[in-house]
Amino acid sequence: MDKDSFSDYAIVIKNLVKSFSGRIVLDGLNLKIPVGKITVIMGGSGGGKSVLLRNMIGLYQPDQGEIYVDGENIVGVGEKVMNDVRRKFGMLFQGAALFNSLTVGENVALPLRELTDLSDEIIKIIVKVKLELVGLTGFEHFMPYQISGGMKKRVALARAIALDPKIVFYDEPGAGLDPITASMIDQLILDLSRKLRITSVVVSHEMKSAFRIADQIIMLHKGKVLEIGTSDQIKNSKNPYVQQFINGEPEGVIPLKQTSEAYLKGLLET
Amino acid sequence: MRTFFGRVGETVFFVFSGTARLFQLLYDVAKVTVSAFYQNLFARPSMTAFKKAIRYPHLIHQMVLMGVDSLGIVCLVALSVGMVLALQAAYQLKLFGAVMYTGSLVSVAMCRELGPLIASIVISGRVGARLAAELGTMRVNEEVDALTTMGLNPISYLVMPRCLALIIMLPFLTVITDVVGMFGGFLIGTLGVNINPYLYLAKNFDALVLKDIYTGLIKSGVFAFVIALVSCHQGLCVSGGAEEVGKATTQAVVISIVLIIIVDCLATAVFYYALPA
Repeated sequence: MDKDSFSDYAIVIKNLVKSFSGRIVLDGLNLKIPVGKITVIMGGSGGGKSVLLRNMIGLYQPDQGEIYVDGENIVGVGEKVMNDVRRKFGMLFQGAALFNSLTVGENVALPLRELTDLSDEIIKIIVKVKLELVGLTGFEHFMPYQISGGMKKRVALARAIALDPKIVFYDEPGAGLDPITASMIDQLILDLSRKLRITSVVVSHEMKSAFRIADQIIMLHKGKVLEIGTSDQIKNSKNPYVQQFINGEPEGVIPLKQTSEAYLKGLLET
Repeated sequence: MRTFFGRVGETVFFVFSGTARLFQLLYDVAKVTVSAFYQNLFARPSMTAFKKAIRYPHLIHQMVLMGVDSLGIVCLVALSVGMVLALQAAYQLKLFGAVMYTGSLVSVAMCRELGPLIASIVISGRVGARLAAELGTMRVNEEVDALTTMGLNPISYLVMPRCLALIIMLPFLTVITDVVGMFGGFLIGTLGVNINPYLYLAKNFDALVLKDIYTGLIKSGVFAFVIALVSCHQGLCVSGGAEEVGKATTQAVVISIVLIIIVDCLATAVFYYALPA
């Protein structure tokens, strides 16, 4: 792949393999994430979504393959290079991962304080602007345990965009939230992407929210990309697994229950 | 027979893999310390950068939590140990008609051995457990991962200030333990065993030489490093949930105390042979 085609893609992954003590989780995965768009990565539990995300942000080292973030291969690079790449993205963790000993304002200010040479007054203003973006003006002095789960997620989002990243990763942004709060978070993701032209990578298994926000949906299954397409293309997919996933049916290509012979065999094996 | 050797092998591997990870953390801490000093003192010498690397407010906060907040319990334990030591010493010395040397015995024992040891063991229970539980919970809540993805090294942000704070505070606590322990001995010696207070004080300070005090302080600095490193290591190695945090906390205290006593034994031998009085 030549250098030019990287300009259209924020992240390019080639032949990614990752296994944990012999169990293969990602099995030769290839995908491209376009710049300035919202890409939703979907798949069943244990399908390798979170592992893929952790590979993209450099928390895991893959066994094989290449990951290009903004044109730069991050596999096997040193900590210094990786930290430079990390400056280009923000990450919203599933549990918000706010620092409990710091106030809301200090949480948002932390990356600014530690990684830039800005003065305290400027940092204060930036914190206000970022909290305003997520609709939490005036909450600077609250501690994380004093605010609700949805607010925590929004603070974490403000922290993720504190350094004006090009890419923001979201790990299950709607998990553990009521439908209204979850849709508010979705709206925020949309706003940030449209207004600030941030590339968004959302890992989720909630179909409703995915169809609402996605420019591109990537279906994962058994460590491989099963299908890529827009919301409509995925909705009208002929693939039986995709249909089963969208409709949330227990019976289908992926059996919930074992056949009686397999059950008997499993019992007798040990 | 095979399973027996298999099990022995597994145990050996388990112990050594744990040790290897501990040495990895030791290496990381050393690397971060050296690079912090190098970058900020030589590469771009400026006071703000240096302050940033040391994380001043963070350090002070940790020092208060570890040192000042532990004062009460450290004093209580030191006082009791000083009193017990005086009573037991007087009981034995009476046989030789040397009760007046009680003060000497208490002061030398406190400064050389018991002061650093008691302070470290109390602190490993108080601070070591807190460190392991705190970092373990941060690990479980993905806070450590959040730091990493922000491009902040958890070693330099979390482990370094804690190590530094404890290395600064534990020698101070040791001095306080020494003094309070001697005071406990003084109380029992004068009120309980009826030694003349002036004689007790004279014997107490006559027996002390400078070496007694500074070897004790060096020891306490080393113990502080052991406690901080082991506890942070246990905390950062947590994977899973609440149960793992509990296990890490227990492990942190147990391993710290065992290592403190082993290191104490080695250090005493080194001081005995290498620094003859």
